Amino acid sequence: MKKTILNLAAGAAFLSAALVCPAADTVKVGVLHSLSGTMAISETSLKDVLLFTFDEINAKGGVLGKKIEPVIVDPASNWPLFAEKAEQLVVKDKVSVVFGCWTSVSRKSVLPVFEKYNSMLFYPVQYEGEELSKNIFYTAEAVNQQAIPAVDYMLADGKKKFYLIGSDYVYPRTTNKILKKYLKMKGIPDEDIVEIYTPFGHTDYQTIVSAIKKFSAGGKACVISTLNGDTNVPFFKEFANAGLTSENCPVVSFSLSEDEFRSLPTKDLIGHLGCWTYFMSLKTPENKKFVADFNKWLKTAPPGVETKNRVTCSPMNLSRIGVYLWKQAVEKAGSFDVDKVREAMIGQKFAAPEGEVTMQENHHLINEVFIGETQANGQFKIVKSLGKVAGEPFSDKFLK
Amino acid sequence: MKRTLPKAQLVGLTIGFFFVLVVMPLLNLLPATHPLYISTFTLSLYGKYLCYAILALSVDLLWGYTGLLSLGQCLFFSLGGYAMGMYLMLKIGTRGQYHTELPDFMVFLEFAKRFPETGGLPPHWIPFRNFPFAAAAVIVVPALVALIFGVLAFRSRIKGVYFSILTQALTYAACLMFFRNDFTFGGNNGLTDFKDILGFDLNSAATRRGLLIATGLLLLATFWVCHWLTTTRFGKIQRAIRDSENRVLFSGYATENFKLFIFVVSAVIAGLGGALFVPQAGIINPSEMATDKSLEAVVWVAVGGRGTLVGPIIGAVVVNWLKSVATHSAPEYWLYILGGLFIVMTLFFPKGLIGIPGQYRAWRQRRNPPAS
Amino acid sequence: MTRCLSEILKRSQPWLRARFLPSLTVALLTTLATRADEVRIQLVSAITNENAKAQVALIDQLSTSTNSIVAQTLTTWRQGGVYIYEFSDDKKTPFFADTVTDADGKVRGIQISNGEPVRDASGQVVLFAPSELTAADTTSGLRKAIKTSLDILALSNPNPNVRRDSAAKLGLEQNPVYLNGFRAHLESEKNPEVRKALQEAIAITDLVSSEKSIQLTALKTLDDLRSVMGLDAVMKLETASKEKIPELSAEAAIARRHIQQHIAFSNFLGTLFRGLSLGSVLLIAAIGLAITFGLMGIINMAHGEMIMIGAYSAYVMQNIFLKAFGPGAAAFNWYFVAALPFSFLTAGLIGMLLERSVIRFLYKRPLESLLATWGVSLVLQQTMRVIFGAANVQVDSPAWLSGNVNYQDVVLAYNRIFVVVFAVGIVLFTWLLLTKTSLGLQVRALMQNRQMAACMGVRADRVNMATFAFGSGLAGMAGACLSQIGNIGPSLGQSHIVDCFMVVVLGGVGNLQGTVSAALGIGVTDQVLQPHLGAVMGKITVLTAIILFLQWRPAGIFATRGRGLEG
Repeated sequence: MKKTILNLAAGAAFLSAALVCPAADTVKVGVLHSLSGTMAISETSLKDVLLFTFDEINAKGGVLGKKIEPVIVDPASNWPLFAEKAEQLVVKDKVSVVFGCWTSVSRKSVLPVFEKYNSMLFYPVQYEGEELSKNIFYTAEAVNQQAIPAVDYMLADGKKKFYLIGSDYVYPRTTNKILKKYLKMKGIPDEDIVEIYTPFGHTDYQTIVSAIKKFSAGGKACVISTLNGDTNVPFFKEFANAGLTSENCPVVSFSLSEDEFRSLPTKDLIGHLGCWTYFMSLKTPENKKFVADFNKWLKTAPPGVETKNRVTCSPMNLSRIGVYLWKQAVEKAGSFDVDKVREAMIGQKFAAPEGEVTMQENHHLINEVFIGETQANGQFKIVKSLGKVAGEPFSDKFLK
Repeated sequence: MKRTLPKAQLVGLTIGFFFVLVVMPLLNLLPATHPLYISTFTLSLYGKYLCYAILALSVDLLWGYTGLLSLGQCLFFSLGGYAMGMYLMLKIGTRGQYHTELPDFMVFLEFAKRFPETGGLPPHWIPFRNFPFAAAAVIVVPALVALIFGVLAFRSRIKGVYFSILTQALTYAACLMFFRNDFTFGGNNGLTDFKDILGFDLNSAATRRGLLIATGLLLLATFWVCHWLTTTRFGKIQRAIRDSENRVLFSGYATENFKLFIFVVSAVIAGLGGALFVPQAGIINPSEMATDKSLEAVVWVAVGGRGTLVGPIIGAVVVNWLKSVATHSAPEYWLYILGGLFIVMTLFFPKGLIGIPGQYRAWRQRRNPPAS
Repeated sequence: MTRCLSEILKRSQPWLRARFLPSLTVALLTTLATRADEVRIQLVSAITNENAKAQVALIDQLSTSTNSIVAQTLTTWRQGGVYIYEFSDDKKTPFFADTVTDADGKVRGIQISNGEPVRDASGQVVLFAPSELTAADTTSGLRKAIKTSLDILALSNPNPNVRRDSAAKLGLEQNPVYLNGFRAHLESEKNPEVRKALQEAIAITDLVSSEKSIQLTALKTLDDLRSVMGLDAVMKLETASKEKIPELSAEAAIARRHIQQHIAFSNFLGTLFRGLSLGSVLLIAAIGLAITFGLMGIINMAHGEMIMIGAYSAYVMQNIFLKAFGPGAAAFNWYFVAALPFSFLTAGLIGMLLERSVIRFLYKRPLESLLATWGVSLVLQQTMRVIFGAANVQVDSPAWLSGNVNYQDVVLAYNRIFVVVFAVGIVLFTWLLLTKTSLGLQVRALMQNRQMAACMGVRADRVNMATFAFGSGLAGMAGACLSQIGNIGPSLGQSHIVDCFMVVVLGGVGNLQGTVSAALGIGVTDQVLQPHLGAVMGKITVLTAIILFLQWRPAGIFATRGRGLEG
């Protein structure tokens, strides 16, 4: 037990030592992304792009004359640990703002912390909505910026049968619930909509793919997939091997960006669809610069950053947008004070790679929406641009 | 306390509990600028460590004293947590996203259509508005699950590694079950955003202090119960079962009843730990039942010292403290630190941290044998 | 020239001309007069044209060509294998990447316009690094047009599978202009599967005929053929004609019922095969654990990481082959054959190191091996993250593992068949090693009674090391095999470890035939339940069934029986 006390003391000493050092000319910001555990596959890239953005801003003089000093923590895909790390960032490191989270449950877990201490979080990954906290800014795509446009596109393409497949958690369930309502509004009968869920980390998609094969045998069918990152690989491998292609049954995926696409056999998966507010293949000068600068930065990147075969994708872009919006709001407010920054944030505009984005009063962005088709080189070819869509978290507002 | 607890441990334990129960809450009362001030964050952090310590004790009671390695102890921890979480969830009231009495996830998953007669609240949620009922559920639900599983398992004399894998299968199945949105417990998002407990604001420092003290007291009580259980005649039988079950059986003891009893007790202990964990961690979700969480609990016990009562407490606190520090200061390398620790502990300190002084003495004696 | 002309005349069917009547005069006549070069020019203009509509029209015209370059180009284009080279004067030339790469991994470009290498303005042959290749864009509309053209071309393809698919595809369009073509092909077709597809295509197209007698015959045909493909069309007809022509609707209902019965039967067969294949996956993943845990008693939590190492070894081997032969090279397809022994050796070697450094101190404390091996698994996961990055990596399946065969409307994917065959092989190999070699004898002796075996002169140290290395090697080979059907990432092992333990324990620790039966049992049960309960509830039910089963047989399916009281 003495040991415990020693450790208690050592812990306290350690933590307080970490406290004492903020230099006057830096501002601390927190990076809260899992670097280990199951979500590390996706979240590590967001940590990388955040570091890149901080360097980008610091090279131009920082924020309000202060250099950004990132505090990186690893919540290890463990949800209570997310809350603990968030609190640690806010209380111990006294960060001005936190960028982080991927899964909804991690956001739900940290939300009370940010509300309790009245601090600020930027959340960059498409999600199911149905939430609005004054302490969170959602640069992420809401359902009406992703799922609805994608389904519209499939309907316009003459698709009559929809196979909704998702991982069994809240985002797919909610999205599919909204989509089913929407499809019914568009006159698709119940028997032509199938809804199927698989557990996290599911590896065996034989039954489902063979069902899809029979489902699509008569033509005019498509798959709407909300499978999360990891399970896409076994699903698509099975899909391709069963002889299904995008011509006889295209798959629209909402959680599959360029970054996830790196681990898939792209050759066999040409022509499937994605719907995001950003694609790496966008031809705007801002995007070309973003991609080029990011690749340049990778060459001098700190250790722990993977440098080979890197791509940019929507969550990465939205992470970066969050940092810039925060910077602009801080500069407008002339202070790092959360209340002032929050006020200054509304209506903030930024010339993002995809076009100009605007932060709305509902803490979601007005952003461009694109539909892209997968290509053999792992990129998306943009087949439709839907223009600016205002993000709306609550489905009852856009399902009228 | 009787003979099994060495004096040094007793002293250490007293100081430890005094620190957690008295000193830490007092230091939290100091103004935030004071050098000795302990923040509410740290308070809650140690509150969580102590909950883990309770869980570790429940593992040790089974593994260290009865020889039953349960790889599903977190199931009971989570069940206790869920029971408490349900109460806390209903206490949010109209402060959620939709400003209705119904918890948020029930609103947007349209439970009103599924349970129209109750306005959307599933019938089994209703009694959880009542704290005494929730508190009783914290004890009864884990006990009941443990009882049913235990009767099945011990009656057919499942033991050793079969028992371990079965408990793992149990918690894995439960985890998948709770992941389902249809299961009415919030699916993957679990239960979060709690506001207050028994009318006290969960965000206030005073409530946090109270929770820490409550956790400390529960740990103390658990420690006493375990100590009492393991030093009585009952404890002897327990250890005899661990060392040679068949001989105990042939001596006329119904070993399965003993095992069943101890299994249920440890489930209750774990459930209580979970119930206090949830208000301090702020979330309960199915990944707490995932198989690796239960493994972790076993690891704490092994690191601290299996078969002692102080060891698991030390193990739980040290490993979790290390995890807290390392995920912050060495986010890229903390798995090496933790993994390395487990390997080194197993290879070189099989008796755990608590056994190190003894090992050191033995080593000294071997090097300098007494003159006589 | 004359030979070419007569060839084309002979092959081009009247129905083709009917479909492209508008372009007939232009396209067909030019095609008749054309030499291969002109087809190439047409292809080039189809690829480089900026106007999507014009592209579609050009592609339609190309479907009448019999020159093999057309099918080849269109296929490659659709798959993104046609690249564009821009000359300095803004002119573009499309090309294929050559199959031969030079020492730097660069390839020459073979121009579609003339089959010559791409040369820059100064006449130098241009070499492309794989990253410098710009693929010619396609959109879904364009690819649909390409696919239709290819389908028409494919009706004369030498590969029967291709002919079958194209007949199906065209039949589902229910466009009567194809009918003559189907009939013409049906006459000359020998392959039964293609014949069936053509018959189905004709019947499905006939369903939209305006004459009742034709529709009835078509229904009869579809009924007789048990056409899954025609089900939707039949059902449509059934509802559409309910009011107007009840007789037709009744016929359609009969056909629908028969087809649905056939689907049920085919689903049953499919379930069996899928169960077998899932069982094989479980078996392959678990067999290494059956050695290290089942025989040696080590609670080896790092088993999953050995699988992961094997999968990463396959990835490394793929990259070596990519470097050596370049993408698309025929030799590349054989990387997987090299990857299997390579992953066996890598994982085996790491297993050996692990045994020497950690495991050998724990034989007397098996439960504690859980703790140490878990530590090892954390360290290995993080190491892979440091070496290969946190993201998943990608392994291309060799051509001979992609694709499928169709039996009774059950799709048998090659990689799944391979997994089943591989499982049989690996079990046989392990069984032979354990029962027919002296090492196997020593292993078994050691596992039954450590001291006694040591007294009899078994060199326990070495045998232990070899056994653990062998078990790890098997896990590694499993990883290479699993890389063909799933993820390769640092947490790959985590997703298999629980299932592996379940299989070994259910089968009965220390019993190979138990492991085999448990894996197959779980696999088939899971697949039988899945269509009814869904994947999640299916899995929960299987887990519950395992728990209950072990109440009945507390030591697994095949308990190792002994006279000793303490097993």
